[in-house]
Amino acid sequence: MSFDPNAFIIILTGSMIAISCGLLGVFLMLRKMAMTGDAISHAVLPGIVIAFLISGSRHGLAMVIGAGLVGIIATVFIEYLSNKVKLQSDASIGITFTSLFAIGIIMITFLANQIDLDQDCVLYGEIAYVPIDLWITGSGTIMGPRVTYLSLINLTLVSLFIYLFFKELKISTFDKEFAATIGLSTVGVNYGLMGMVSYTTVSSFEAVGAILVVALMVVPPATAFLWTKNLKRLIQLTVALGILASFLGYYLAFFLNSSIAGAMASVAGFFFFLSVILNRKQIPAIKKKLSKMKVA
Amino acid sequence: MMKIRLVLITTIIAVLLSSCKFDRKGDQGKFRITATTNIMADGVRSLVGDSAIVTPLMAVGVDPHLYKASQRDLDLLFDADLVVYHGLHLEGKMVEVLHKFSRTHEVIDVGAFLPPTLLISSPAFANTVDPHIWFDVKLWSLAMEQLKDAILEKKPEWTDYVNTNWEKYQTQLTALDQYTAHEIKKITNQGQVLITAHDAFSYFGKAYQIDVKGLQGLSTLSEPGLNDVSKLVNFIIERNIKAIFIEQSISPKAIKAVVEGCKRKGHDVVLAGPLYTDSLGEPEGPAGTYLGMVKTNVDAIVQNLKSK
Repeated sequence: MSFDPNAFIIILTGSMIAISCGLLGVFLMLRKMAMTGDAISHAVLPGIVIAFLISGSRHGLAMVIGAGLVGIIATVFIEYLSNKVKLQSDASIGITFTSLFAIGIIMITFLANQIDLDQDCVLYGEIAYVPIDLWITGSGTIMGPRVTYLSLINLTLVSLFIYLFFKELKISTFDKEFAATIGLSTVGVNYGLMGMVSYTTVSSFEAVGAILVVALMVVPPATAFLWTKNLKRLIQLTVALGILASFLGYYLAFFLNSSIAGAMASVAGFFFFLSVILNRKQIPAIKKKLSKMKVA
Repeated sequence: MMKIRLVLITTIIAVLLSSCKFDRKGDQGKFRITATTNIMADGVRSLVGDSAIVTPLMAVGVDPHLYKASQRDLDLLFDADLVVYHGLHLEGKMVEVLHKFSRTHEVIDVGAFLPPTLLISSPAFANTVDPHIWFDVKLWSLAMEQLKDAILEKKPEWTDYVNTNWEKYQTQLTALDQYTAHEIKKITNQGQVLITAHDAFSYFGKAYQIDVKGLQGLSTLSEPGLNDVSKLVNFIIERNIKAIFIEQSISPKAIKAVVEGCKRKGHDVVLAGPLYTDSLGEPEGPAGTYLGMVKTNVDAIVQNLKSK
């Protein structure tokens, strides 16, 4: 056994993305919008096509900008439908991403005979390639793995956002009416959260692919939710589960010789089902507690 | 602050634990070449023979489009003495990554050897070229010759051996090219057209002067419109086309609709194939090598389109 810098870089990057996604995922889950990440993965298609039409190339940067802009439009639209039109949040998400994806498909059909274009081949990255996807400066200096820097920036911004607006996020998530009565504007913080979600998902798609991002946004928060209903504990547990999933997932992929992203997502899923089983055993005890509380 | 401490502790543990690498056993000392597609791996193998271990990243039957890297693949790239990739965006986003990888490792981009004038680019978007160059045997031969020179630049001590291999391979390629041209002429004389599900045969059509039509576009996301299907049905009947072809890595559903459409209008068109497009066949089978794959395709095309 010897030191393996590749394993280290992959686990580190995976962990940082897991934390960013998990932190946002907790709030999305509590707001019944857990599938926003998945929705964005589909919704960005027209952005990619338009970015290609404008830039004429399928290079990563253009694709990320196109996808990012449409990702933001998608989240704004979801927010608008659920808050202003008063549609249920799941329906808002469903309508938004299917319409955008459909527009993308129509656009691609027009170009179909000429180019090979879809999220899989131009946008989604692969976590296995993080160690070889280097950041090379204009003068030619090799700075190390590009995606690791990007995910560090992403993690910093997401943590900062949640740290600074924790109170606003908490109140607007749990009690919108109370927020309104104390004069707290939830509009800003809602759009802020959705903007962060859009930025994080698109940036992470480009870094490590879609399935991992969607899984990390939903599964660790849901698992943590089985154990605690306290928001701070929920966040801590989500972060720990995310790191554990990327760490164990990497070695699972190593021993199975499988896709790393797939293994990480599977580990997260395994923890979830394990928690379900462990929790079911405790259900009678919890019920007893609850009935006692009611009597009291 | 509890949160930050927890994150720090867990990350440190992960870092410490992740520092270990499990040593793998393998052929020590031999030169290792990793190629992206199995078609490219076969080409490299024909050149370097047994002086190197050549491993493809993509297994047989894998569509380069849908390929997902596994943990082993990263090691295959990292531990290789030389990486050869097809380029021309065939490997999608991976091309960008491999291009950067060439800064720290020995990497050859085969697509870059071909002069742009020989490539088929889309009429509207000059920057996007069709990557399926291997269906034009002459073009493949040209790419392989350049690849040979690039390999010899890195391994001059192989010169004699690789040149002998190349001469043999070149003879085989020339023979295959003539065979293909000769066979395809048999059916173009009868006004036949090659109709497939996916647009992979542009180079083939250009090189061997056969009209090629694809139902589906280059992107596997695009779906044929109803109009496309009915247009194609009319075309098949008008030109009295005998067979249309499915491909190994593409769902045959859409093209089956065309066969049904023809039947309803009283024209029997055979659904033939599958043709090998983006991957070789099973290693031991007739299409297990590049030469075998092209011949298998040509024979299938001619047999099904020729008038008896």
